[in-house]
Amino acid sequence: MATLEVRDLHVSVKDEESKKEKEILKGVNLKMKTGEIHAIMGPNGTGKSTLSQTIMGQPGYKVTQGDILLNGESIVGMPVDERARKGLFLAMQYPAEIQGVTNAEFLRAAINARRPQDDQISVMDFIKKLDKNLELLDMSQKMTERYLNEGFSGGEKKRNEILQLLMIEPTFAILDEIDSGLDIDALKVVSKGVNSMRGDNFGSLIITHYQRLLNYIVPDTVHVMMDGQIVETGGPELAKKLEDEGYAGLRDELGLDIKLVDDED
Amino acid sequence: MTELAEAKEQLTSASQQHDEPRFLLNQRLFARDLMEKLRLPRMQRFKFHDWPLIADQPLTWVSSNTDLEELAPDDEVIRVTQVGQTTVKIHIPEKLQDEGVVLTDIFTAAKNYPEIFKKNFMTAIKADENLLTAYHMAYLNAGLFLYVPKNVEIKKPIEAEIVQDNTQDQPLISHILVVADQGSKVKFIQHLTTVGKNENPANMMIELIAKDNSEIDFSSLDELGASTHTYFKRRADIGRDAHVEWAVGLMNDGDTVGDMDSELLGECGYANSKMIAVTTLNQEVGVNNRVTNHGKHTIGLINQRGVILENSELIFNGIGQIIHGAHGSKADQQNRVLIMSDKARGDANPILLIDENDVEAGHAASVGPVDPHQMYYLMSRGIPRKQAERMVIRGFLGAVLSAIPAADVRKKLVDILERKLTDGQQYQ
Repeated sequence: MATLEVRDLHVSVKDEESKKEKEILKGVNLKMKTGEIHAIMGPNGTGKSTLSQTIMGQPGYKVTQGDILLNGESIVGMPVDERARKGLFLAMQYPAEIQGVTNAEFLRAAINARRPQDDQISVMDFIKKLDKNLELLDMSQKMTERYLNEGFSGGEKKRNEILQLLMIEPTFAILDEIDSGLDIDALKVVSKGVNSMRGDNFGSLIITHYQRLLNYIVPDTVHVMMDGQIVETGGPELAKKLEDEGYAGLRDELGLDIKLVDDED
Repeated sequence: MTELAEAKEQLTSASQQHDEPRFLLNQRLFARDLMEKLRLPRMQRFKFHDWPLIADQPLTWVSSNTDLEELAPDDEVIRVTQVGQTTVKIHIPEKLQDEGVVLTDIFTAAKNYPEIFKKNFMTAIKADENLLTAYHMAYLNAGLFLYVPKNVEIKKPIEAEIVQDNTQDQPLISHILVVADQGSKVKFIQHLTTVGKNENPANMMIELIAKDNSEIDFSSLDELGASTHTYFKRRADIGRDAHVEWAVGLMNDGDTVGDMDSELLGECGYANSKMIAVTTLNQEVGVNNRVTNHGKHTIGLINQRGVILENSELIFNGIGQIIHGAHGSKADQQNRVLIMSDKARGDANPILLIDENDVEAGHAASVGPVDPHQMYYLMSRGIPRKQAERMVIRGFLGAVLSAIPAADVRKKLVDILERKLTDGQQYQ
């Protein structure tokens, strides 16, 4: 069993215009194990993406206090590629486009990066695995010969993130708004992909605004994040409650003095 | 006797000894006179005036050791190999010979095909342009000639393997002349390499004469050695409705300065001039890539990508010129360089000279490090930094890589690239 733990995490980013450090995460605590699916919900601008990027190790985010532990080992200060090889994966909201590198070539490089030099995946095994996952995600063979994300539609990019998840088979996957911009059919396909990974050796942290995705990928635990902190944790019913009452309802119920970005003045 | 008179007497005897036609000798002598008054060419933001680009040597005929690996005879392949001044072999299928295709060394062409040769040789590039073009004409000592008759299409690329011989103290002054007659189509790939470690200049010129409605794809993989100072000049004269595509992989190890020129002379001509360059160690490389729209409704495109490693310097000037009267023409260029170390220096300068209103012109340029967003994405999948960097760079160079028609040459270029990048990354 593997664990991922976030302890009293404070994170700042530099504002591009004012060049001032701004604190986004203000003491986040979270603990998860493989075999579990956690969801983080919350209104816009509360730090959900900051949390996922910080766990992955995006260089723009600065940890000012607290720690992130993967199997008890601190990964703060560890380069992104090393975190990935230790089992972390982030399905991104805005994947990069890379011309000249085919999807297939990229997938092989990613798989081989976590295998020893003398035990690289064989072409046959790779193709078998690829074909199986393409079918699961209802993707065409052609997608793998195209350049990485280049000219992909929004939906194709999301599917491609999930294809990578299935190919790389990480221990913990963070899915950052994987549902945004997806129609209902694509949402079902993407969910099917994630559900196929469920099991004792896989854990996932799903970040979303909407409850809808959680109808297809039913979480074990739901966290609500507001203003850089987790303010409530519960079971799947918490997501349903939010859908009914909204974030403002929960805030008022908890007696929090937080201004939501989308609040009318 | 003056120095000039001595030099001309030497040229005369060397030319006669080589059994050259009189007109060629006259061109040499005329060019030798020009050398007295012409200067080195200039290039914006790039200095090379102290380079040894002219050998202090008479015109000498030498033969090179051609002990090369024999390639399996293959009737389908059209290949020519030259080592130094020595033509090792020319293989051209009989069918094409019957159709009138001519592929010979440049001196045989002057002797055996004087009409077509005289009409085209040194007409796109002129001896009086600068000191190095005059030097080229006066001391020419190697080269190739290809003639493709009207409406003949050569489907397989013609592969020229040109080896500069630095086991001797001899400059390589080489000229490739390609004449594509009306309606013909041809793909030409040259691969330049060096054997030996002696220091010599290389003066390498290419003229493409693309007559009306013809198509020439010219690819070049330049891999000259570290002890060679290279000046190259490659120019295409492009007729009505003719297409010329250049795809150059500039991978020389030594200092290099060069001019690419595409002259869109006839109406509705098309030129696409693509180049990638990788510089390493203390190398200095400067390139002017110029496309000039003379004819109406012509399209001129430039795409240059460079990667500057270690302590090297690379300057890319893109020059798009539209001459007055070239209505409805288009000039578009991209010049981009990646700077991979603190000591690397480089620039990408787009220069647009537009003398006509009814045209479309655009440019894009960038100078900087590899895209951090792309790096983060690849690394977030576990790919180590250096490998990710090479992948991003290969993507950055992709447009030119994919334009090379022969898979084996493309593979060779990718291999050289991997090697240069891997070596260069050690330095960071």
